[in-house]
Amino acid sequence: MKWLGGALPLSVFWLAPLLGGLAAVSFTANDPAAWRAFFSHPQIWHGLALSLATGTMGLALSVAIALWIAAGLHGNMAWNKMQQLVGGFLSLPHLAFAVGFGFLIMPSGLIARVIALALGWTTPPPWVTTQDPYGFALLAVLVLKEVPFILWLIAGHMQRPEFSSLLNEQARVARSLGHGDGSIWLRVVLPQILPRLLWPMVIVWVYGASVVDMALVTGPTQPPPLAVIIWGDLNNAQQALNARGAAGAVFLTLMLVTAGLAFASAWRLFAPLLDVFFTQGPSGAGAPRRFAFALLVGFRSLYVAVFLLLFLLSLTGFWAFPALLPPQMQFSAWSELIESPAPLLNSLSLAFVSVAVALTFAIAWFETVDERFDIAVLAFSLAALTLPAILIAQGQYFLFLHLMLNGSWFGVLLGHLTPVFAYVFIVLQGPYRAFDPRYRSVSYGLNTDALRFWAAIKVPLLKPPLLTAAAVGIGVSIAQYIPSQLIGSGRVSTLTTEAVTLASGGNRALLAAFSLVLMAIPLLAFTLATRFARNTP
Amino acid sequence: MSLSLHAVSLTLAGAPLITAFDLVVEDGEVVTIMGPSGCGKSSLLAYIAGDLTPPLLGHGRIFLNERDVTDMRPEQRKIGRLFQDDLLFPHLTVGQNILFGMARGSKDQRVEKMRLSLQQAELGGWEDRMPSTLSGGQKARVSLMRALVAEPSCMLLDEPFNKLDEELRTSMRAYVYSHLQSHGIPSLVVSHDKADAPRGGRVLHIRKSGEIVHA
Repeated sequence: MKWLGGALPLSVFWLAPLLGGLAAVSFTANDPAAWRAFFSHPQIWHGLALSLATGTMGLALSVAIALWIAAGLHGNMAWNKMQQLVGGFLSLPHLAFAVGFGFLIMPSGLIARVIALALGWTTPPPWVTTQDPYGFALLAVLVLKEVPFILWLIAGHMQRPEFSSLLNEQARVARSLGHGDGSIWLRVVLPQILPRLLWPMVIVWVYGASVVDMALVTGPTQPPPLAVIIWGDLNNAQQALNARGAAGAVFLTLMLVTAGLAFASAWRLFAPLLDVFFTQGPSGAGAPRRFAFALLVGFRSLYVAVFLLLFLLSLTGFWAFPALLPPQMQFSAWSELIESPAPLLNSLSLAFVSVAVALTFAIAWFETVDERFDIAVLAFSLAALTLPAILIAQGQYFLFLHLMLNGSWFGVLLGHLTPVFAYVFIVLQGPYRAFDPRYRSVSYGLNTDALRFWAAIKVPLLKPPLLTAAAVGIGVSIAQYIPSQLIGSGRVSTLTTEAVTLASGGNRALLAAFSLVLMAIPLLAFTLATRFARNTP
Repeated sequence: MSLSLHAVSLTLAGAPLITAFDLVVEDGEVVTIMGPSGCGKSSLLAYIAGDLTPPLLGHGRIFLNERDVTDMRPEQRKIGRLFQDDLLFPHLTVGQNILFGMARGSKDQRVEKMRLSLQQAELGGWEDRMPSTLSGGQKARVSLMRALVAEPSCMLLDEPFNKLDEELRTSMRAYVYSHLQSHGIPSLVVSHDKADAPRGGRVLHIRKSGEIVHA
C-alpha cells in the first residue's frame, strides 16, 4: 500500500482537475446551439487559418534556426555552456518579451528613434509593426522565444555522456569515410536528435496556434487568431457565449489533431525520399560556424536590448518622439507596483507553492511507485502540455463552477499545477530513475536509514535536475495567463493578467515595469539554479 | 600503397608520451602496436587520422603513397578506421551504412557494389535490415565492409576485436586480416592482446619510456 502515498495526492490534485476539466469542457460543448452559433461566426475560418499558419510557420522557422545554430556550434562550444546561456532566455515569459520587443519595433520605438536620428525624422514613421493583420509580429516574437527553447533541449541531449561520446565516435568514423563537419551534422547527428525533439515540437506548434496573452498584445486584431476569438466568448458574462467558446476550443483542438495527423502521414509518405540524401556518398561540406556564431550573438544582443529598453521605459514618463533617451527619470511606475503588491505577491506565491507541490508530488511518486508506471504519468503530462491551454483551463473553469473554486487563489493554484507538475515530472523522471541503486545498498551497510540516505546522499547527488525542474516550474507558473484570468475570474490578479490589461491602456511605464518583473523572476530562478547546481560533486 | 611515419611523436600537456619514431607499412602489411592502456596507442592512431584533440599534441609527418597528408583535414585523408564498437549508424539500414562512405557516382553501380560487399560479409540480401537486428559478428563484418568500400589508402584499427567473445574473435581476426591483405591496404592495429597480431606480422611495443621498439 506504500504506492498510495505517491499516487493518491497526484490523482486528487493533478490528474482529477486535468481529466475533470477535459470532461467538463466536452460536456459544455455538447450543445448543438453552441456549435451553430460558433459556425455562424464570420471570423472563425480566417482566425483558424491565422492560428494554424502562425503555429506552423513558428515551429518551422524556430526549428530551422535552432538547428542551424546547433550545427555551427557542434564540436565547437561546450553544450553545458550553451545550455546555461539559453536557459535564461527560454525561461522569460513570452508575454513580457512580446511587450519589450513591441517597444523596440513600434513606430515610436527605439529602432525608429535611431533611424530618426540618422535621417532627421521628426514624427514617427507610418509603420505597421505590432498587431499587423498577417501576424508577422506575433510570428517574430514566437520564433525569437522558441529558438532558445529548442537549443536548450538539443543541449540537454548532447550533454548526456553516453549519447555525446557515441556521437563523437560516429563522427570519427564518418570523417574517416570522407564526410565533412556539415555533412556529419546533417547525415549522422540530426537524424538521431530530431526524433527526441518530437514532443517538444508538438508543444511549440500547439502553443503558437493557440496562444492568447501574446496574441492579445502583439497579434492581429481584425480578425484575430481563433484562440483570441474563443477567449472573447469565454470572458463574456453570457452563458450562451461561454458555451460557444467551449465549442470553439473543442473545434480548435480537433483541427490541431487533424492537422497533426496530416503532417504525420505526409512525413511517412515523403521520408523515404530522404534516403537518397543519406546514401549519395561523402560530401566535404563544412559547418556554418561563423553564421551560427553571429546568429547566437544576435539573439543575445536582442534579449539584452529588450531588457534594457524595458528598464528604461519603466523609469520614464513622457518621452517625445525622436529623443533617443527619456528627458527625465521618474519612479512612479515602480512605486505604483510596490504600493499595490497583490499581482506580484499572487504571482510569487502561486509560483513557489505550485513548484513546491509539484516537486513533492513527483518525489513521492518516484519513491513509492514502481518505475514501470511512470509511462502513465508521462502520457498524462504530455497531454497536459500538448492540448491547448485554452481547452484545459476553461474545462477547469466549468468544473470549478461546481466546486466553488473560481475566483479563489487555491483554484488558480490547481490551474497552474496542471502544466507545472507536467514539466517538473518530465524534467525529473530520467535523472531520478537513473540514480544508481548501488548507492542505496552501500549506504544501508553504513548504518544509514532510508530517510538519511535520501536526504544526505540522494538529494545532494540529484541536486542539478531538482534545481532545473524547480526553475522550469517557476518560469512556467509565472508565465500562466489563461488559467489565472479564467479561474481567477478577475479576483486573483497576477503579473501576467495585469500586464495584458495594461497593454491595452496607455501607461507604458507601468507596463514596462510589470514586464520587467515578469522577466526577472524566472531569470533569477534559472541563474540561482545554475549557480547552486555547480557545487555538486 | 604504403603508409610512412616520419619522426612521429606525441606529447600530453607538454610531457612526452611517445618519443619520435619512423615506420613504413607496406602494401597489404598489417603492423601491430602493443602497449598497456594509457600508453598513447589510441592517440597515435588519432594523430595519424587527424583528429587528435588537446591537451594531446602530435608531431612528425605522415605520408600516404608518398603524399604528405599531415596538414589535411581528417575527411580528406582517406584513412579508414575500425574501433572496438561497430559504430554502425543506428538510423540507417545496413545497405545505407555501406553506401554512406562510397564515392559518389552512378546509382546502379553503387548499389551493385554495396550488394557485392554484403555478399562478402556473408550477409547477401540483408541491405534493408536495421543494424540493431544484427548479431555482434555480423555488425563487425558490415563495419569492415563499410570502411573497405570507401577505398581507404590505409586502415587504422583500434582494439577492433576487444568486445567480441573469444570464439568470434579468432574468426573475425582471420576475416579482417585476409580482406585487408587481399585489398593491399597498409594497416596499423593497436591492441593490448598479443593474439591480435597476425601470424608472421611485425609487432612493435610501446615502452614505459615512450620509446617504440620492435618485439
